[in-house]
Amino acid sequence: MGDEWEPPLPAGYSDVNRAFLQAFMARGTLTFREGQRLLAAIQSASEGGSHIDPASITMDEFQNFIRTARDAVEPLDFDIRNTRDQIRGGERVWAFINAHSDPATQLSTTHTPEEVAYVKRLLDAMFEQYNTPRMEVMAVDEGQALRVSRPAARRESNMNGNDNDDEEHQEDGAAAAATGRGLKHSEVLSLLSSLVAEGWLDKSLNGFYSLTPRSLMELWSWLVATYNESDADADDDWQRIKFCEACKEIVTYGQRCNEPNCTIRLHDICEDGFWRTRPERKCPKCSTPWEGNHYVGERAVTSRSGFQRGRGRRARRTEAAEAEENGADEE
Amino acid sequence: MPVQQRLRRQAAQNVDDDDMGQPHPQSPGEVDSDGDEQMAEVGPRDETTQLIKNLVRYALSCEYSRAPIRRDGIKEKVLGSNGREFKRVFAGAQKQLRATFGMEMVELPTKDRNLMTAEQKRKAAKSQTQKEPTSNTYVLVSVLPEAYTTPAIITPSKVQSAEGEAAYVALYTMIIAIITLSGGELSEPRLRRHLTRLNVSENMPSLNPNDETSPSEKTEMVLQRMVRQGYLVKLTDSRSGGDEDQTTWHVGPRGKVEVDKEVIAAFVRTIYGGSDDELENRLQVSLKIRDRKPGVPDMVEEVAEEEAAPNGDPGPSNRRRGRRRQTEAYDEESD
Ligand SMILES: [Zn+2]
Ligand SMILES: [Zn+2]
Repeated sequence: MGDEWEPPLPAGYSDVNRAFLQAFMARGTLTFREGQRLLAAIQSASEGGSHIDPASITMDEFQNFIRTARDAVEPLDFDIRNTRDQIRGGERVWAFINAHSDPATQLSTTHTPEEVAYVKRLLDAMFEQYNTPRMEVMAVDEGQALRVSRPAARRESNMNGNDNDDEEHQEDGAAAAATGRGLKHSEVLSLLSSLVAEGWLDKSLNGFYSLTPRSLMELWSWLVATYNESDADADDDWQRIKFCEACKEIVTYGQRCNEPNCTIRLHDICEDGFWRTRPERKCPKCSTPWEGNHYVGERAVTSRSGFQRGRGRRARRTEAAEAEENGADEE
Repeated sequence: MPVQQRLRRQAAQNVDDDDMGQPHPQSPGEVDSDGDEQMAEVGPRDETTQLIKNLVRYALSCEYSRAPIRRDGIKEKVLGSNGREFKRVFAGAQKQLRATFGMEMVELPTKDRNLMTAEQKRKAAKSQTQKEPTSNTYVLVSVLPEAYTTPAIITPSKVQSAEGEAAYVALYTMIIAIITLSGGELSEPRLRRHLTRLNVSENMPSLNPNDETSPSEKTEMVLQRMVRQGYLVKLTDSRSGGDEDQTTWHVGPRGKVEVDKEVIAAFVRTIYGGSDDELENRLQVSLKIRDRKPGVPDMVEEVAEEEAAPNGDPGPSNRRRGRRRQTEAYDEESD
């Protein structure tokens, strides 16, 4: 019964590679330092328990393991990608991902359909509602995350609108019913915390939820297909998902050109290298002096003079809770 | 067990040595009812490869959420209209899982006869089938040599959170150890007494202890999950007269595969902070296992290395350490 068929494997593939792959899949992501510790443990196991110093594992060795693992899983539509963490000092992160991924397939094995539907609404909030040409926050605070606990009818009927008012268009009840009852606030809070623990969401010190490097790698093509207009002029039109002028990766946390209509964005972690190669600190497209004080990400909110941590957040959350209670009474 | 491991290792090496990725022509013996499909030279091979890939992905995603891999699920989610291909696709997926990931699907044991209620036994007797019963349900386990199953290598997956996972593994390992050492059965009041002693009679850590809103979970819910995932079996025999103490707890099919006797022995050694002759003797008697193998690393040290594992948790590696028990079963199965 099919004994002759052999799965394709990279040359020299052995138990050491299999152990690396199992460990990588269980963790989801690896940094180089984590990889050093892991490879030291694996090497030690393969050599009968002798102690191996993690520091002795070189970047070359680590990258070889990554490359071999990638070759091994590629025929199965898995992939290993890497990116630098936009927020935390730019540490490079490798992630084991599904090659053709969307949030539903990613979450459907461990989350209920209601939870999966909520995550889609949360992503819409991050990339549509709180990501406008004026304010590219691409993150939500807890109150904003609670506001989308339940499906709003307008989201179904008005996907492309720039309408930011949550409480409007409630009349389209049929569409709302079709998308389910949504989640209770306590369920949302619990889900958010487990998405953070699972490595899909980041929670910042200021209380903003944003996508982790792993999520961005996993959902890269889905995000672009879902939130960007395919017929837009790539250079001139404002798009919801934008890329770093230096490294070409998605920017959800970084800097923007001081000219409000210019679409040039830059990661904090990329700017040193970028300006070093240029004669002047000016936008490469519109030549406006680059001051680095206009932001993409939560700083679009927190850098504003009116932002008061804590109090502001709590107020918003209360407001959202009241809104939900009112909504519940109406039903 | 070491013999099996060696065999598997050899098998894996053969895979390594073989020429890479060249699909071999089908053996003549393979031609059966779907011989017509094999007339085409490229098509069926590619199609089978695609089905194998889908089964491997399905198995990995089931394991990720610890749902059992069911034959029905495979037919519905993977094979679709290609139901007749089950054997070939399953065998191919096993090969791929072993060769690429060092894992394989192991069929779960069928329900023990002595786990059936009186009524179930009567029914079973009435419908005495000619075939040996199979569970048609599989779990994915690691087939790597034991040396690779230390916590430093195989950490808990991040399904909910690494900490929650580690606590969960510790709890079901503990309960399964208690049940097994009590002779395979534990009455409801005795289980409750053990849980009280462990200070988890009301609540257990949730799968995500960092969750401010629900760091812990009702013990009932956690036990239910252990039953649903096949770690435990809860039996209530209403027909055996009397109305008290009729609920008993047993080790479920997944529990038997993942928390086998070696795992339980290692767990007990951890609890006792090491091992001596007396403990080994008692373990041999209670678990009917052989001597502690020389070269088995000291569990206590391993645990100390793994920060995520709380209070003497033997480490999540054990979850993966279930051994091949009945993989051969599917070979005999006719479709
Ligand atoms: Zn960049
Ligand atoms: Zn500009």
